[in-house]
Parts: sequence; structure tokens; C-alpha cells
Amino acid sequence: MVLEVTAKDAEGNELFKNEKKWFEIGIDPDKDMRYGAWQIKEIIDLTLPPLATQKEQYLIHFDTDTDEVRIDAKLYYYINGSKRELVHDVSKTLSFF
Amino acid sequence: MRKYKNTWLLLCSSLFWVVSYPIAGQCTPEATTIDELVEKYDSQKCGGCHEEIYQEWQNSWHAKAVNSSLGGIRNFIEVGLKKEWNTPLTKNEVLKCLDCHAPIVNFASEELARDIGRLIVTAKDFPTTPTGTEALKELAKLNVGCYACHNIKATGVAPGLRGRPQEGVMYGPTGEDGDDFHTSVETVDLKTSAFCMQCHGVYHAPDGETIQCNTLSGSYRHGYLAAGGSKTCQECHSAKGHMFPGGHDLDTVKQGLGFNVQIAKYKHLPGQITSVKDANKWVPSAIVTAFIENRAGHRIPDG
Repeated sequence: MVLEVTAKDAEGNELFKNEKKWFEIGIDPDKDMRYGAWQIKEIIDLTLPPLATQKEQYLIHFDTDTDEVRIDAKLYYYINGSKRELVHDVSKTLSFF
Repeated sequence: MRKYKNTWLLLCSSLFWVVSYPIAGQCTPEATTIDELVEKYDSQKCGGCHEEIYQEWQNSWHAKAVNSSLGGIRNFIEVGLKKEWNTPLTKNEVLKCLDCHAPIVNFASEELARDIGRLIVTAKDFPTTPTGTEALKELAKLNVGCYACHNIKATGVAPGLRGRPQEGVMYGPTGEDGDDFHTSVETVDLKTSAFCMQCHGVYHAPDGETIQCNTLSGSYRHGYLAAGGSKTCQECHSAKGHMFPGGHDLDTVKQGLGFNVQIAKYKHLPGQITSVKDANKWVPSAIVTAFIENRAGHRIPDG
């Protein structure tokens, strides 16, 4: 699962981008990262726990000649293999005139 | 005939004590071909009366539980068994995957189970060849069918209390079936999370090996329940009946995740942000705060 936050100017130029990922890492008894279900004996848990709400906060500064910015916050989930689907998104345009 | 039957009963009883596997209460000749195996436990038979449920199931991941997982099972056989463990392909080894992905393989002969393992390797490694295509077609017959949950795994939550599943009996949460096509036994166990956990969590093979395809049961038990959650797997994942949608279904994922984003602007004091073009001007700035809520009964993502 990925939270992607971007900021673009009126021309669509990307001014800011950040990705926060939630995932787990499977490790074998030697603490080596593994993908095989038969190899994994423990996990490093970097997922979002059940019933928990996590806060991600960004303070973004733009250049002094920036008039307008579109902020997009998108939450993606890898439904099937490497293909990620948009689950939720919120957008807002900020004007600095 | 009676003598023949008694011989089977005796053999069955002997096996019960010698071999400890999940279907030890059942004793029929093991199938030697996939068709023989599938014919005996064919979900299509169930669809004759339970049409709606059958159609839901056909659209589920349970219905394609082997062919949708070919890569992982193939790697277990070719990398795990062959290279890392230096262990021959046997029924017991194949069942470390297929006891969950195709539980009826429990009723396969030793040779058939090995053949199925070899088919999985062929289907994954040579999918576009005639043999690979044929392998895929054969393997598509194997899945988590009606008999898997409603018999083979039905009493697995509490085998000591419930006893082993009896051959031909269909276990369900109500025990009602409306006809005498099969014997029905009420088993509320099918409505418990522990029932799903038999496969949707760390799998413990009879020899003690653990197979960790996912960790749902762990986070359900030690995260969700510990945090005060009380819903069962079925309460959330039965919204589309026997389709049992989960992480592969966008609607279900959306329901499981809350997303609250606050976006605000302000102008930062001049002189403090040195990377801007004009340090004497106010700096356009934004605060983005995202709250991501896991409403599910397990960690996200998982597996």
C-alpha cells in the first residue's frame, strides 16, 4: 500500500513528490529477506495494524514566484501482483496570489 | 461384500492410528487420476441444488486457488524441495501447498500427488507449449471446492471435540439442506475465524514445517482482537456470498481503508527558507496531513 502526495504548478510541473509505503518483509532464520512461503519464518512488520489510524504529515515550501499549486494525495493498493489500484484520492488547488 | 466392507473398516482404523492427517476419518481408495479425484468431489454436483452459491464460488479466488498460485507452488517444488532441502517430491511435500490450495489432493494416490506437482512445474515453466496448456487445463480442475470447506476442513478447528469429518457428509452452519441428497451436519465452527485461519495464516504441516503465505491470522488474533475488535472473518468477507472477496477486490479494499486528508496553505516568514529565488519574499507553503485508517480485522497489506 502506498500513499503518494504530489504538488504541481499550474503548468503541471511537479514541485513535490513523496511516497510512504506499508509492507512486510519476510525473513528466514538467518534474518535474510525471502519471498518463498517455505523460507519465511518471521516477518518485519511495516504494515498498517488493524484498527489503527496513522498520520502522515508534510510541510511543503514552494518557490516565491509560485502562484498556484495543485496538491494530490492518493492511496494505492497492490490488488494483484505489481499492478496498483487507486483506492482513495483527495485533491485541492491552492492559490497564493 | 460384508467381508470386503469389514476389511476396509479394519484398514481404515489402522491407518487412523498410523497416519495422522486431516482426513483420517475417511477411508476410500485413493484416486489415481485428476478426473477420478475431481469426479468424486466435484463442486458442480453441489451447483445442481445450490446454484446461486455455486455461481458465487465460481467467481471466487477459491475456485482458481491452484492456477492463481502456480509461481509460488512451482518455486516450492523446484527451489525449496529440489535445491534447498534436497528432498524428493512426495505427496506429503506437495500437501504443504495443496492441503490448502486443493485439499482434495489429500485423497490422491502418492503417484497422482507427485504428478500434480510435476504438472504445476510444467504449467508455470512452459505455459504456451501444448504440454503446458494441457497442464493448466488439468490443474484448473483443482481448487478450494465445496468439499474442502464443507467436509475436509470442517472440523479442523476442534478435531478433538468434533471428531474427524465423515466421508460424504456435508458440514454447514445450520445443518439444513432441504433434501436427502447428502447427509448434513450442523457445524457452527464454519462461522468462526478460526475456521478460515486453518489456511489464511501460517500453515503448520504435520511434520512441523511452517509455510507462511500470509499472516492474516496472526494479526487478526494478536492485533485486531487485542485492540478490541470482535468481528469474524465471515462478517466482512461474506458481502458477496461465497465469492469471499478480499485483497483482490477493490470494493473490499476501499471498505477496509479510511482516508482523511487535510490540505491547508499559509505563507512562511521571509528569510527562513534559503532555497527560494527571493529570500526577502513570503514563501508559499502547504501543510498536507493524511490520516490512513485500517478498518479491517488484520494488518494491511498482508501476505
